[in-house]
Amino acid sequence: MTETAETFSLGAPVEIDQIDRELKKIWADGDSAMARASLMNLAVYNEAPDSLQRSTELISKITENHACRALVIAADPSAKVDKVEAWISAHCHVGGGAKQICSEQISFRLEGTKLLTSILFSHLDSDLPLYLWWQSDLPERIDPQLWNWVDRLIFDSRAWNDFEAQMQLAEKARSEAQQRQMVLCDLNWTRLTPFRLAFAQFFDHSASHRHFDKIENVSLHFGHGCRSTALLFIGWIGAQLGWEVVGGNGPVQMKNLAGKAVRAELLEEGEAPLQSFIAGTRELEFRVRRAACGDLVEVSRGKPGEQGAHQLLPGDDGDLATLVSEELVRGGERRVYQRAVEKMRKLL
Amino acid sequence: MTKDESSNTEANPLREGLTTRALPQPCSIVIFGATGDLTHRKLIPALYNLAADGELPPSTNVIGFARRPKTDDEFRGELVETTQKFSRQKVRDEVWKTFAAALFYHQSEFEDEAGYQSLAKRLDQLNAEHNTRGNRLFYFAAAPEQFEPILKNLKAAGLNQGANGGWARVIIEKPFGRDLASARELNRVVSRSFSENQTFRIDHFLGKETAQNILVLRFANSIFEPIWNARYIDHMQITAAETLGVEARGGYYETAGALRDMVQNHILQLLCLVAMEAPTDLRADSIRDEKVKIVRSLRRYDDEQAGRFVVRGQYGKGAIKGEDVPAYREEERVNPKSETETYAALRLLIDNWRWSEVPIYVRVGKRLPKSATEISVHFKKAPMVLFNRESTVLDQNVLVIRIQPDEGISLRMMSKIPGTSLRIEPVKMDFHYGTSFGKPSPEAYERLLLDAMSGDATLFARHDEVEEAWAFVDTIEQAWGEKKAQPLTFYPAGSWGPEEADELLARDGRSWRRL
Repeated sequence: MTETAETFSLGAPVEIDQIDRELKKIWADGDSAMARASLMNLAVYNEAPDSLQRSTELISKITENHACRALVIAADPSAKVDKVEAWISAHCHVGGGAKQICSEQISFRLEGTKLLTSILFSHLDSDLPLYLWWQSDLPERIDPQLWNWVDRLIFDSRAWNDFEAQMQLAEKARSEAQQRQMVLCDLNWTRLTPFRLAFAQFFDHSASHRHFDKIENVSLHFGHGCRSTALLFIGWIGAQLGWEVVGGNGPVQMKNLAGKAVRAELLEEGEAPLQSFIAGTRELEFRVRRAACGDLVEVSRGKPGEQGAHQLLPGDDGDLATLVSEELVRGGERRVYQRAVEKMRKLL
Repeated sequence: MTKDESSNTEANPLREGLTTRALPQPCSIVIFGATGDLTHRKLIPALYNLAADGELPPSTNVIGFARRPKTDDEFRGELVETTQKFSRQKVRDEVWKTFAAALFYHQSEFEDEAGYQSLAKRLDQLNAEHNTRGNRLFYFAAAPEQFEPILKNLKAAGLNQGANGGWARVIIEKPFGRDLASARELNRVVSRSFSENQTFRIDHFLGKETAQNILVLRFANSIFEPIWNARYIDHMQITAAETLGVEARGGYYETAGALRDMVQNHILQLLCLVAMEAPTDLRADSIRDEKVKIVRSLRRYDDEQAGRFVVRGQYGKGAIKGEDVPAYREEERVNPKSETETYAALRLLIDNWRWSEVPIYVRVGKRLPKSATEISVHFKKAPMVLFNRESTVLDQNVLVIRIQPDEGISLRMMSKIPGTSLRIEPVKMDFHYGTSFGKPSPEAYERLLLDAMSGDATLFARHDEVEEAWAFVDTIEQAWGEKKAQPLTFYPAGSWGPEEADELLARDGRSWRRL
């Protein structure tokens, strides 16, 4: 467990052309127990006026597990004049030993739209991947050069009002990234991981795969404002088990590989994105639900109506920094996500 | 002879894209020696961490088997305390409650056949109640002299097979024998009850993240393999240094010594990983086939060579981190005239094409100034032209793989010191696991227990690896035993070992890496 050893100040204001020099000074002035570390460039973009402070808090937590160069940007694209201000700071955390592991942060307040790409490009730590966490709605138009440099575009589709329109923009951004394969990383998808793991573990033994085609109904309780999270979860199961969507409006109707109907009941209640999920066959129920403590999930399997022995598995505490940290440890493409999105689109 | 069936071959479509590995089948884990240190410090904390991380299959239960009378609840009460102390992550009440409900205690003497009959009944009952699919994993954390009666009784009770088509496996802790003859005999004894693919000989060094990273470093990076041979590598050094003395293990250590305790297993396993050829694939036997070739290729010493190329030492009085510590001969349960070595240094050669005449220097020892385990690969110097003239003698490039503590990799290379004149100094490029990956690595036992449950023997030693390692070590032990080789030397606790160990390298114009 690491311990945070600093506050959430933006740090010292600096002239843009002095950023590199001032960063060097930070490390030169620091004591020998400080080790600068960086595995990635993590850029955070937000258009809310007070976002710098909030993003700095998030970066402070994220850097406990992910040493990076953080580039935090608060932008006002509606400003008529292009202008930029900058601050530099360091996030230091005491690890297992005596050394403090430190990540550096450059914060920008950006006015106008023209400077974003050049500001980002000129302050990247070389040779390290660029993860861009876009916290606002994706823009209709942006310098396509930017996408060429982004390795992963992180967003949270739960915050989108128009899923389809935003997803199209994300896909357009990906197609514009011609020099590298930009991976779309949806935090709404990462949010599903504990429930996905909990449901998947029922079927790790191949003998249990016979139940797939026997599932007749699924029931999912999700939190207020989290319908897209719920649909993504159902889309995932449908895509992985080869279910076909036959009706999306009102009760969700699907058909399994054997051609049998699967009825999905979605109920909005509570605050947590996913509250509980049950997949039922005639003889058995596979149950996953959020445990009372909030950060664990409880799994059980038993005959309908019977309370079988349960087991606790890791969940999440709903903390955004934890979610991003989870996302950052995952590599590779998101083929399963893309299949889930395709299925989900039919349920929207 | 029984077969080990893991029919869990068809991939779970819901696991696709999830980073966590598929859960193994549930099983009953029986720990022999359940009241011992290993169970309390390592095994139960490891199982708890697996449960807390959601990697322990539901319905798995753990049965502690030991002599002392105890109830399940007393056993659980003891374990919660030690798990709180030794667990990698904080023990959470909710998780412990579920985990502890699956912990049981079974009292019996190891030699008592009836105790195994009642164990069999208990396992059947647990299988019926919790559906462990008849799978059984036996962990031998007892003293080695108990292995034979345990194995015999397990077989007599029919426990060397899983129930109802399930599997049975056995994990055996070191020491796996004390020489080639006893290791062969133990392999024979084990094989009377369990087949080779049911047998998992554990070496916890192989469960360490950095040890596993050796193959990744070598074979996933194209820059190393072309220069990983006698043409570019001058020599290698493997060090396993401990500040600790023998502590409470004097009795055992007197019968073992540094060579048997460390070199035969941990050091030779590390040597195999760093020296082996690329396996054809990542299957357990493909990797183990390559490892065993290395041990087989180690040049065997005759008595005279054992005297020249092996140094044995024993610590005398001294100080560690400012504290006075007694000599080995003054430790508890140690013969005051003991000839047991607490330090060994060896110059090894691997007689194969890749490593022809590249010395591998090994040193292991107790009561050294620092605790550190590492492998250093020393590359040949740049040619004597340009910068490498008499006036500026260049150091070697050294690649260091740190196994513990502060796991990581560093590379020493030469660099110009800023200034108007040409001065060259070595600088270090350093990668620390702890700095780069904030998330703590799982403990070695977590990984190894999970692998054994999954039937993956990659990180466990095969019978021929163990026997080949003993065959090599025996030649040295024999030379020592017959007093034909170098006599025991002494070093003060807190020093880097006897002078003779320094001379071992000095003769070749080399020196130990400064740690």
